[in-house]
Amino acid sequence: MRALRAVAVVSVLALLGLLVWDLAHQNGPGIAVKVDQGKIVPAPKLDLPLLTGAGRLTLASLRGKVVVVNFWQSSCYPCKLEARDVAAASRAWTAKRSDVVFLGVNAQDLKGPAHAYLKRYDVTYTNVRDALGSTWPKWGVTAVPETFFVDRRGRVVPPHITGQASRAQIDDGIRRALRS
Amino acid sequence: MRLALAALAALVLAAPAAACKQQGSQAYLETRLVCITCHTTLDESDSPFAVEMKQEIARQIKACRSNSQIIDSMVAQFGPAVLSTPQTHGFDLIAWVLPLGGILLGAAALAFGARRWQAVRATASDDSPQSPLEPEDERRVDEELQKFDA
Repeated sequence: MRALRAVAVVSVLALLGLLVWDLAHQNGPGIAVKVDQGKIVPAPKLDLPLLTGAGRLTLASLRGKVVVVNFWQSSCYPCKLEARDVAAASRAWTAKRSDVVFLGVNAQDLKGPAHAYLKRYDVTYTNVRDALGSTWPKWGVTAVPETFFVDRRGRVVPPHITGQASRAQIDDGIRRALRS
Repeated sequence: MRLALAALAALVLAAPAAACKQQGSQAYLETRLVCITCHTTLDESDSPFAVEMKQEIARQIKACRSNSQIIDSMVAQFGPAVLSTPQTHGFDLIAWVLPLGGILLGAAALAFGARRWQAVRATASDDSPQSPLEPEDERRVDEELQKFDA
């Protein structure tokens, strides 16, 4: 009888532990809200496989550079609308500065259409694949496309662009990140 | 001539079917795979992503791929989270074993409890003697009973 009681107590404690762990690991609203309030926040960890080819890429490996992080999906209409502008901005900035890089985060997408998207819109900058959208909660992404600017110290700085980004908005974001 | 033409037509029509002996089933796959954005099986979802997945399945079926090949390709892209039921190997096996283990553990606990309860009852009945009455009380009981008999 004592053994049964012990098993029951251990089971209840294990379930309670699981509940506490789950509550402790909830992400909250993500960093987007803070950036929208004008705050500068450390960039969440980003470690994902490359969309094309093998290997992984971490955001930390780009420390010392301004990184334009663009979340997108191949089926998203505003993503398609901004794709050429983002690609053109990437080419223009990387041609004149080595400390500015673009990073696409393709989330919740099929590989085939994602590859076709890159080809169609002539996207030449590095893209990583977040198959299940696991990075979204920490960054606070609610719908694609969304664009963030990470400064050379690995901090996300305003502005945070929700929806279709224009070339002027991207240029402004990079300049502000460079000044940060 | 007509017979030859008919035979040729039959051959042409039969060729794709023969080439796809292991062709997957759209209906089956839509119940085995979930839309990763809405977390329901594909047959229950019309979200844009579910529609894309259905189109991808249709494309692969057209390319003569079997159910297991198509499922494998989806798991390769999205991991086991794309499956509507957990896999029967690796860590996912816990999802199948745990409920069964729980039922067995519960049954064992019930059996143990029942046996213990039975043993306690048997001991209790053995230990309870026929409480002997005091001579005085016994005499009074006899008197009372005699009154009834009379």
